[in-house]
Amino acid sequence: MQTNPERFKENVAEALANPGLKVAIRRTTDRAESKRAAAIQNFPNFEQAREQGTRIKDHVIRHLDHYLARFERNAVASGAVVHWAVDAAQARDIVLDICRRRKGRRVTRAKSMLGEEIGLAQALDDAGFERVETDLAEHIIQLAGDPPSHIVWPSMHRTREDVVRLFREHHRNPTDSVDIADLVDSARRELRGKFLSADIGITGANFLLADSGSVCTVTNEGNAELTTTPTDVHIVTAGIEKLVPSMAHAMPLLRLLVRSATGGEITQYTTFYTGPKRRGDADGPGEFHIVLVDNGRTRMLSQGMAEMLRCIRCGACMNHCVVYKHIGGHAYGGVYPGPMGSVLTPNLDGLQRARKLAHACTLNGRCQEVCPVQIPLPKLLRALRASSWEKKYEPPVNRQAVRGFVQLARRPRLFQWFSSLGVLGMRLFSRGGWISSMPFASGWTACRDLPAPGKATFMSLYSQQRKSGNGIDQP
Amino acid sequence: MTTESNSKQRTAIFDAIRSSGLTVECDEEDIRREAAELVTGVADARPPLLADDIVEAFRMRFDNGLVVGTTCVEITEFRDLPGAVSQYLERHGLPALVKIQPLDNLTGLDWAGFSTDADVELDDSVAVLMAEFGIAETGSVVVCSSASMPVLLNFLPLHAIVVVERSRILPFLDDYAAIAGEMAGDSTTPRNVSLITGASGTTDIEGVLVKGAHGPKFLHVVVVGR
Repeated sequence: MQTNPERFKENVAEALANPGLKVAIRRTTDRAESKRAAAIQNFPNFEQAREQGTRIKDHVIRHLDHYLARFERNAVASGAVVHWAVDAAQARDIVLDICRRRKGRRVTRAKSMLGEEIGLAQALDDAGFERVETDLAEHIIQLAGDPPSHIVWPSMHRTREDVVRLFREHHRNPTDSVDIADLVDSARRELRGKFLSADIGITGANFLLADSGSVCTVTNEGNAELTTTPTDVHIVTAGIEKLVPSMAHAMPLLRLLVRSATGGEITQYTTFYTGPKRRGDADGPGEFHIVLVDNGRTRMLSQGMAEMLRCIRCGACMNHCVVYKHIGGHAYGGVYPGPMGSVLTPNLDGLQRARKLAHACTLNGRCQEVCPVQIPLPKLLRALRASSWEKKYEPPVNRQAVRGFVQLARRPRLFQWFSSLGVLGMRLFSRGGWISSMPFASGWTACRDLPAPGKATFMSLYSQQRKSGNGIDQP
Repeated sequence: MTTESNSKQRTAIFDAIRSSGLTVECDEEDIRREAAELVTGVADARPPLLADDIVEAFRMRFDNGLVVGTTCVEITEFRDLPGAVSQYLERHGLPALVKIQPLDNLTGLDWAGFSTDADVELDDSVAVLMAEFGIAETGSVVVCSSASMPVLLNFLPLHAIVVVERSRILPFLDDYAAIAGEMAGDSTTPRNVSLITGASGTTDIEGVLVKGAHGPKFLHVVVVGR
């Protein structure tokens, strides 16, 4: 997909001006938040599970070369073909090459964020293949021509009313109903024949098992298995950080992933694929290709971002993010939205283009609290801010403002004097306890009122109390 | 992609990992030991079962409505299976038309009164299949692929009736993972292993759960054994 993180500010303004968007986002994220809380209540040892999951991911990162080599050896022994791609362009070329060589025409895809990251959808369209997205949400955004706005619910920005309109326009036998169950049935009817007549099936991977060379996908719909079984070829595109030593290490991560993503305990379908169809097998693909993609991951290892490679793509950080809940996924302008996206996008698209994302955070720490593998997202975002400063990517106005603040912060009396002046100034613009417009505050007041400050600053109240003998340090 | 360019890309990735300064050069045996330690003592990091008895814990997942769109019955003998299937079809108002997985312990039963070669691509189709294992922690059934176990049979029908032997119900996901680990060591991993936990579902429209997105809308688990 085309990314535009450099337009973050403009994207945010557009998102905030769309009242329907916030309704759509809150309907799903609020439900996800409460379901996750309930799931964790039923799992008293969840914190120990987080510890274990974190240790597993860190172990793999420490021995990444060992596990990649082991996975490759076992996958090849099972009959798979393993490909290596340094960047997105190489990954796309490898996939297109296989599709062309097999003379495939119809290509079915199960949802994969790595697929989005490498721009596979666009590449398949440009090369003239008939691309069929089989995950319901991906099907919806394919019909709408939208990029995904969430990593678990890519069509979260679309209300049921939007889906009714899209299905009526595009489905061969659409429903007249606006009931969600009828809409799901309509998609089932529409996609069934396409599954069975496809030539190539493409999936991502949730885990790569080093000891068996197996690839694991998780879905609730069953679309991954229907994507990969009837076709002649199954192609997997996966980031190199998806490795785990064995299924015994995948299971604890699976417990964390599903509870954190949807509040479920396990997905309906957790499937492990090992090699192509075997002699005598009733069905299955004749060829099984695995494309292992770096695309900046090894750079993250060497640039202090290794903890980000723990990410298991659950989306909990965005479901709990106060910024995401207001602006939705598209405003971030990258493949990955929310807090995890604000760390990944500068690493994928370059910090100079995506530096504004590092500031799209209140540093309230909620994302780190809910992250199933304890990624210190606020720390990583602060590191990106520092790096953007050091590389002089921040505009001169910001740099001067920060320098000015540094001077003030070093002189407490001057700082207090300026604060008092600021409070006085703000009160001049206050009407009935609220400020609806004020110089230098249009970024806030364009979309909402600002509460008027109190009559005095904290420091002046504090010194008054001390003088009157009621200070907090008095016995 | 040529073999040469693939090998060049592979080398570039390995070089980048090793030069990052983060990976640790280690004896293979040490890595294996470290990996094993990560999954020992997992009892402290997993959810509790719903009952002490494994089969009861498995059943309670369904009886308490914790597994999407799934019902469960117990029978004592394999020969009782056609009767259990018949009761299920009657309850759903379906004709005696099913697709049976071509396994001897299923096809060898007395299916008199049934038509047993239904087209699973059609609506309202019913499939009867065997699971290798059940898992009490989640209410999952483990189905594998082989010559007589087509993968599509697990996913195409609207109703899936899955049979699992009582003696093959395992307590935790980790217990199946241990079996899978042994199979990986012997190079006997089945090509396709699916842990199926409930009927197909989606929450993609406004987060509302709807059954039967692409796979079966109804799952019926039959536990066989004394």
